Amino acid sequence: MRIALLLALAALFVAFPLAFPWLAFVFTLVISKGFAALGVAVLLRAGLISIGHALFYSLGAYTVAYLSRGAGVTDLILQLAGAVAVSSLVGLIIGLFMVRYRGIFFAMLNLAVSMVFFTLLSKLYALTGGTDGVRIGTPTLFGTTIERDTLESILLYGGLVLAFGVGYLVHRYLKSPMGEALPAVETNEIRLEYLGIAVPRVLLAAYVASAGLAGLGGAMYGLLVGHVSPELAYWTISGQLVLVAVLGGIGGVVGPFVGAFFLEIIRSFAVIYFDNIWNLIIGAGLLIVIFFLPRGLYGLIERATQRGPRR
Amino acid sequence: MWKLAATLAVGLGVIAGPAAAQDRPERIGMGIFTFTSGPAAAYGMPGRNAAELIIEQINEAGGIGGVPIAPTYVDEAQGGEGVVSEFRRLAGDQSIGVMVAALSSGNCMALAPIADQLEVPMVTWNCDTHQLFLGEEHPYVFRPNSSTVPEFISYAAYLAQKSPDATRIAIINPDYAFGHDAAQIFTGAMKAFNPDVEVVAELFPKLGTASFNTEISRIAAARPDVIFSNLWGADLENFVRQAQARGLFRSSQVVLALGESVLQRVELPEGVIVGVLGDGWWMSPDAQANERTKEFVSAYRERFGEYPVFPAMKMANTILAVQAAYEKAIEASDGWPGRADLREAFAGLELETLTGTVTVREDHDGLVDQLVGVTVASDEHDFPVIGEMVRYPADQVTPPVGEDPMAWIGTLTPDFAASLPKPGSYE
Repeated sequence: MRIALLLALAALFVAFPLAFPWLAFVFTLVISKGFAALGVAVLLRAGLISIGHALFYSLGAYTVAYLSRGAGVTDLILQLAGAVAVSSLVGLIIGLFMVRYRGIFFAMLNLAVSMVFFTLLSKLYALTGGTDGVRIGTPTLFGTTIERDTLESILLYGGLVLAFGVGYLVHRYLKSPMGEALPAVETNEIRLEYLGIAVPRVLLAAYVASAGLAGLGGAMYGLLVGHVSPELAYWTISGQLVLVAVLGGIGGVVGPFVGAFFLEIIRSFAVIYFDNIWNLIIGAGLLIVIFFLPRGLYGLIERATQRGPRR
Repeated sequence: MWKLAATLAVGLGVIAGPAAAQDRPERIGMGIFTFTSGPAAAYGMPGRNAAELIIEQINEAGGIGGVPIAPTYVDEAQGGEGVVSEFRRLAGDQSIGVMVAALSSGNCMALAPIADQLEVPMVTWNCDTHQLFLGEEHPYVFRPNSSTVPEFISYAAYLAQKSPDATRIAIINPDYAFGHDAAQIFTGAMKAFNPDVEVVAELFPKLGTASFNTEISRIAAARPDVIFSNLWGADLENFVRQAQARGLFRSSQVVLALGESVLQRVELPEGVIVGVLGDGWWMSPDAQANERTKEFVSAYRERFGEYPVFPAMKMANTILAVQAAYEKAIEASDGWPGRADLREAFAGLELETLTGTVTVREDHDGLVDQLVGVTVASDEHDFPVIGEMVRYPADQVTPPVGEDPMAWIGTLTPDFAASLPKPGSYE
């Protein structure tokens, strides 16, 4: 039942951009943000709120920019893989000291590190192009040059396939002992230690995974928009990722994607129809969800699918 | 499911519909990108106001080739991805003929390749970064405005003529590309005009700084002859108020590159060098000699309660450039001009604006005169106006086509500054 619902959602996802081409961009953005928010959601399961994942998100995009401009790596697959590798590696280094902190300290420390990165991106003018950012060219695929339009289709449909693949992997990870230990960290960390589970290791794995996911999302963003500026590393983007994860709900892997979808659609339509008060509309939409759907939008899916068999 | 099928069908119909038709449309769609919320709205709203007014005036006079303009405004404050997404959506709408985008240079850099990809003409109204056309060709992007290079070397030239003995310069610019670029261009030109020039302080406070006390202390301690700044909006107002209280305007010659935009809001002392990053000063002799400009200015004043600062004039002039391009394209093509025809028309476009003339060069960059002057008290207004004006001819202060702008600044000599019109020559 749940699978069927997912497939139906995916079909809608594919159909709409065919009818309204401009939605293709918005939908690809949804996938990209969904990946990053999924990364945040993994940590949220352990009760750790990171207000700094824009670091990895922007790092993914900047890695793609450097691979194509500086290093001459133009292949799409290699660029994506490179972005995931770089952000996971940086996630490992930062994670080594981050996993010692909990609660507000974890949140603030992530924020601090990401803002240092933001400042570096803005100030290292010669390296990063400053606040005007850097342009990201159209990549090649398996040695052949592709058109911009082709790239956009690849990012949307390939991205959807990738989202299913990665989503499945993350789902398996969350059901594995390492993943199941995450909620246990939140409920009773000491008990977990007594059970003989090394909490720092559990958290480090989660941190690296979440950094890699955010990097993947960022790389997709960079390829899609074709331009990246330090704005992407600003704390408001981190906040948005947390918001997306909470909106969508952290109960399942699909949640963050649904959250990203909701946010982007509201934003798009608010900007079109209420160009003077669009921020107000977004805020109101978010409040409604948070008040009435405490388990996020994913809670709706859960409810629908649990009732299903009883009927 | 039926709903979905219906939506699909309607959507496909929309795609298939207008592709071939080149009849005269009912209206000309125009996407206009500016900041209408957040701190940058201080600069972006005059642009939007001016767009509203000039479009209304054009439509009242019969529109373009008999067709009224229908603007769609997009708020740049929603961030890069939102701006890109809106641009794409509007470009997908075939009734939109042209985009007027954008205020922020970062947004222009992000939108330019998309304009090329979607083959929709994009006309920049305020992003003056010289990086836009540097090293990359944009067949669909045009700038009927000047770039940062002529804009900031004009201040150096004015200084070289007005206070040739000034050698110690201090710079306080906002901490992003616009501020850093301006510092580099201004310093380069100052050194070219007078090799003895040294930078005694270079400060880049971040955007939205409320207190400039430490910066002002550091500048005062450096005892500069000249203080140059391209701060703008609320930052500029704060800086002026605080610097005035500390006597900076008395001890040094201050240059406020975007000073005209705050003349009506903050009390600037006399003798401050200000300009308009182009020729868009509503009180310039050329503007005052133009009936249309006078009409625009008084209508603007009446509706929005202030005179149109230069971002407003820039926007109005840019939309006039779009109108001129359309008229040229209508003449050149049989049916109604499509996007590609409009693009053709922009190349080599020349027109009279509200405040002078603009030429779009073959590299798509604009040639616009540069107006610089100092603040003087006015008999007519309760705020200072610009006096001792000079109008530097565009072709003299703009790097030639195909030359690296930074390298070109390096080739300037003291004779160059001496060869330009003198301060006070524009009356």
